[in-house]
Amino acid sequence: MDQKISPELLYLNDVSVVFDGFRALNSLSLTIGEKEMRAIIGPNGAGKTTMMDVITGKTRPTVGTALFDGGVHDLTRLDEATIAGLGIGRKFQTPTVIENHDVETNVELALKADKGPFAKLFSRRTPQVQERIDEILERVRLKNARHRRAGDLSHGQKQWLEIGMLLAQEPKLLLVDEPAAGMTDAETADTAVLLREIAETRSVVVVEHDMIFVRDLDVKVTVLHEGSVLAEGSLDHVSSNERVIEVYLGR
Amino acid sequence: MTLLRILLCLVALAGVARAAEPQAIFDRLASTKYDDIEAGVGDLATSGLPAAADALSAALDGRLLVAPGKPALFKTPMGTTIDVATNAPAAAGADAGLKPVRVNNRIRRAVATAIGTLTLMSPDARARLRAAESVFRGRDPETLPALDKALAAEKDERVLAAMRRAKAAITLTTDAPEADKVAAVGLVAERGDQDGLVLLRGLSETAPAAVKSAAASAIQAIETRQAMLARVQDVAYGVSLGSVLLLAAVGLAITFGVMGVINMAHGEMVMLGAYTTYLVQDLLRTFAPGLMEGSLAIAVPAAFLVAGAVGVAIERLVIRHLYGRPLETLLATFGISLMLQQAVRSIFGPSNREVSTPDWLSGSLDLFGLTLTWNRVAIVLFALAVFFALQLVLKKTTLGLQVRAVTQNRRMASSMGIRTDRIDALTFGLGSGVAGMAGVALSQIDNVSPNLGQGYIIDSFMVVVFGGVGNLWGTLVGALTIGVANKLLEPFAGAVLGKIILLVMIILFIQKRPRGLFALKGRFVDA
Amino acid sequence: MTSTRLIDFKGYVFLAVLVAAVVIVPGLNLLLPADNPFHIPSYLVPLLGKYLTYALLALAVDLVWGYCGILSLGHGAFFALGGYAIGMHLMREIGPRGVYANPELPDFMVFLNLKELPVWWWGFDFFPYAALMVLLVPGALAFVFGWFAFRSRVTGVYLSIITQALTFALLLAFFRNDMIMGGNNGLTDFKDIFGIPLQTQGMRASLFALSALALGLGYLLCRYIVTSNFGKVLVAVRDQESRTRFLGYKVENYKLVVWVISAMMAGVAGALYVPQVGIINPGEFSPANSIEAVIWVAVGGRGTLVGAALGAVLVNFAKTWLTGAFPELWLFALGGLFVVVTLFLPKGIMGLIGSMDSVKAWTTRRRAVAKPAE
Repeated sequence: MDQKISPELLYLNDVSVVFDGFRALNSLSLTIGEKEMRAIIGPNGAGKTTMMDVITGKTRPTVGTALFDGGVHDLTRLDEATIAGLGIGRKFQTPTVIENHDVETNVELALKADKGPFAKLFSRRTPQVQERIDEILERVRLKNARHRRAGDLSHGQKQWLEIGMLLAQEPKLLLVDEPAAGMTDAETADTAVLLREIAETRSVVVVEHDMIFVRDLDVKVTVLHEGSVLAEGSLDHVSSNERVIEVYLGR
Repeated sequence: MTLLRILLCLVALAGVARAAEPQAIFDRLASTKYDDIEAGVGDLATSGLPAAADALSAALDGRLLVAPGKPALFKTPMGTTIDVATNAPAAAGADAGLKPVRVNNRIRRAVATAIGTLTLMSPDARARLRAAESVFRGRDPETLPALDKALAAEKDERVLAAMRRAKAAITLTTDAPEADKVAAVGLVAERGDQDGLVLLRGLSETAPAAVKSAAASAIQAIETRQAMLARVQDVAYGVSLGSVLLLAAVGLAITFGVMGVINMAHGEMVMLGAYTTYLVQDLLRTFAPGLMEGSLAIAVPAAFLVAGAVGVAIERLVIRHLYGRPLETLLATFGISLMLQQAVRSIFGPSNREVSTPDWLSGSLDLFGLTLTWNRVAIVLFALAVFFALQLVLKKTTLGLQVRAVTQNRRMASSMGIRTDRIDALTFGLGSGVAGMAGVALSQIDNVSPNLGQGYIIDSFMVVVFGGVGNLWGTLVGALTIGVANKLLEPFAGAVLGKIILLVMIILFIQKRPRGLFALKGRFVDA
Repeated sequence: MTSTRLIDFKGYVFLAVLVAAVVIVPGLNLLLPADNPFHIPSYLVPLLGKYLTYALLALAVDLVWGYCGILSLGHGAFFALGGYAIGMHLMREIGPRGVYANPELPDFMVFLNLKELPVWWWGFDFFPYAALMVLLVPGALAFVFGWFAFRSRVTGVYLSIITQALTFALLLAFFRNDMIMGGNNGLTDFKDIFGIPLQTQGMRASLFALSALALGLGYLLCRYIVTSNFGKVLVAVRDQESRTRFLGYKVENYKLVVWVISAMMAGVAGALYVPQVGIINPGEFSPANSIEAVIWVAVGGRGTLVGAALGAVLVNFAKTWLTGAFPELWLFALGGLFVVVTLFLPKGIMGLIGSMDSVKAWTTRRRAVAKPAE
């Protein structure tokens, strides 16, 4: 089934997730196109993280469809590793890097490659691999920190390293959870530039609280509330929506 | 056949003796020949004297006094002397020269049968029922006339049925017509118990073919019923084992389930509880022997305090430093368990300590053919009491509220002014204290040795993990399920293989549902 | 951070010590007369050999615990299974020299009134088959267990507890006479291997050397694994299991591979242990044995390999000495070791060696340890 049945890269339809009677997602429908960048906003508990969990295979939806790559792959039947292999990368809210490895090794682990245990058992770092690592470190400005232990990096550096690891995976779709959290204003602006750059070749979904950052991104915005889509459109469009003002902006 | 002939002779003898005067009966009883005495016992039973039943039971204890030619007297348990012939108090000094009736086993049996016959006419229905049962067991054709008389007079359905079965049992020992015997087999089979089975098995050799085949099918029916009863008995044993597991595991459910702390020294808390029981009994024996019967009531709170205090100390000194590192906690508490075992071994010695069982817990309870020892029944009740008390503490007290708050969100609880470190210590103390109380119960059914706890720790973990962590109800269901499954597997697989099968099943179950039977679900659980 | 070279400085020291031991121990035993002060008495050779097999077991535990975060409380089971496999061969080697002089059946089977050799004993008279079983039996058990456990994502203490249940179940199983594995008494009264009596000085020295060789090879294998890309993934699994999945790694497969390798190493250790101590019985399956192996690793230093081997030798030396001199004290000492190491020495002896120059780092770590996690 290589036939793409829809033009969308990501297709979520009528997805619900219920935990013990609590509806974390309630008939959520959402599509992301190729090379599209989308910002997702919403108050705490709106279901942003659960949505990412469903897309990346961490949580199975109670009902609903989640398709990837033009409907070729059913995300509800695959595990996290397979989904990552298909080309969905995820950056967590709090930066999670492998603290006991150095910066280089973190990127190396993320690089797109055969990730089976036996392939890894009999492979060593080749010059080509080193070249890719250098390229990515250059881009996330961590070249000078390449031999430092990832756990010793500053918070902002860890965020950048994680973005670098995402790039190394060469995903078709990046899910980025609050990339600007804990960053200085300058770093935040830098991150926005970097994400826009990435979006030229791939699709990016950014979940964010910081309105200034969302404005910097200047992309289509989806507002989530109580597990479903409340409004969609440009930031100006959604910020003028009365319901949105009521539940989110004007609280 | 010889036996039958003797029995028939006895019936004949009894027929002759029935006409005897009271004094003739007393003279027989005063004889030195057991044959005479036995005949006398039969005569007394059928004499119609109102004091016959009391006199016969007095004979068993040597309280029936006789001498040739003198009126027989018996002493009541209260010490008054009664004249058998008149059933009125005898004159003082009337017992001079009288001697107790000589009694050997044969006489004892004859007396018991005779009393059985007599009580068949008792006004108390329960006494009549017991009498019918004893006639059934005795199967003495001699009692047939009395039984027939009683049957004619009987109104109570249950007693009537019991008497018919008793008659049937006697019929089977006589040379009654074949049809009667087949009917009798049917009646005996109604009992469906071991006594009926013994009787039917014993008869099949000489009986006519029809009786034999009736008996064979009756035996099969009884065996099926007995097998079912055995399953029910297994379930009862399972519940008993399950409540032992519940006692051992419920404290662990608090420390592991509620706090997330792996306490490998939990078994040693149980062991400390058992040794506390030993110490309490030792002290009572020396200083207040009168209180021995209540030793367990004193040991329960004492064990709670001792194990609880040790638990608090462990939490303060070790576990507090290891929160968030469950694997390290596991290792450290295993070390503590080794030290506690060795400490107890050094103080009390390596051998088992004797813990006595109070009289009120000895003996057993018979229930529809099931036998349950009282201490097992008590443990079931105790386990349930501890369980519900714990639920109450967690649900209704301030401590419980704070414990639940800290469990769900430590940081939030802390910022709301709950002293989380104190709550940790108290929760751990509570879990350990409950383990100590479990030790009191286990001291009644297991050897009190330094290794006591080791036997329960793996089972307890299995119960908690199987039932679902963080849920006391899961622990209850888990314990009872594992207990009953274990006992149901035992007859088929043997004790050891049954246990292995169960362990493997639990291991597989955990693979299927890693969070147990009653898992907490939600977005915060596996964060 | 772990060194990426196959053999680092600690590794050279470790291997050098092993080579020296292979030369010195049998040398001082075989070549020097008994009255020489440097003579190593014959009873000491298998004892030291036993320490080496324990060190190999510790390596196996460290490989899964130190590098992949799987705390196994059941590695003693793999050790014992390897031991039983070789024990079965040694039983068959006895041949007609048993008490009942049955050429086919070992004594305990004659005692059980068996007429034929059970199927699972077939082939064990052939050494290569027995040697293969030393690897395959623990490996297969680990594969089946790990296949289920890792796929259903049983982790942390749950996994530890079911590994403990596993070894406990095997303990009960091997106690049964119906297993026809010697029951309570286990397998013992071995005579010889390859026709050479086990009790000769030469055989003891050879077994010692073989144990040292196995330990050295085991160390190199572990080093190869942990310094490979595979090893880097293992550490990622240990520190950030969920993150590693999102990077595209099937964590369960990684765990399964390292788990099976580790179980086989433990099996080899058990197989070398049995001929040196002369007996294998169900007691080897007891959960306490497995936990003891974990403490060797913790004492030496988790995730250091060399430390695990060192810890095994040191703790067992202390055990031999204390159980002889002050039997009452041994369990206090062992128990205390568990507490002290987890509380004050989370990186074990190797961590202590590594941070001798920086006492400050040590105290900060202690403070970090004392802080309860949220």
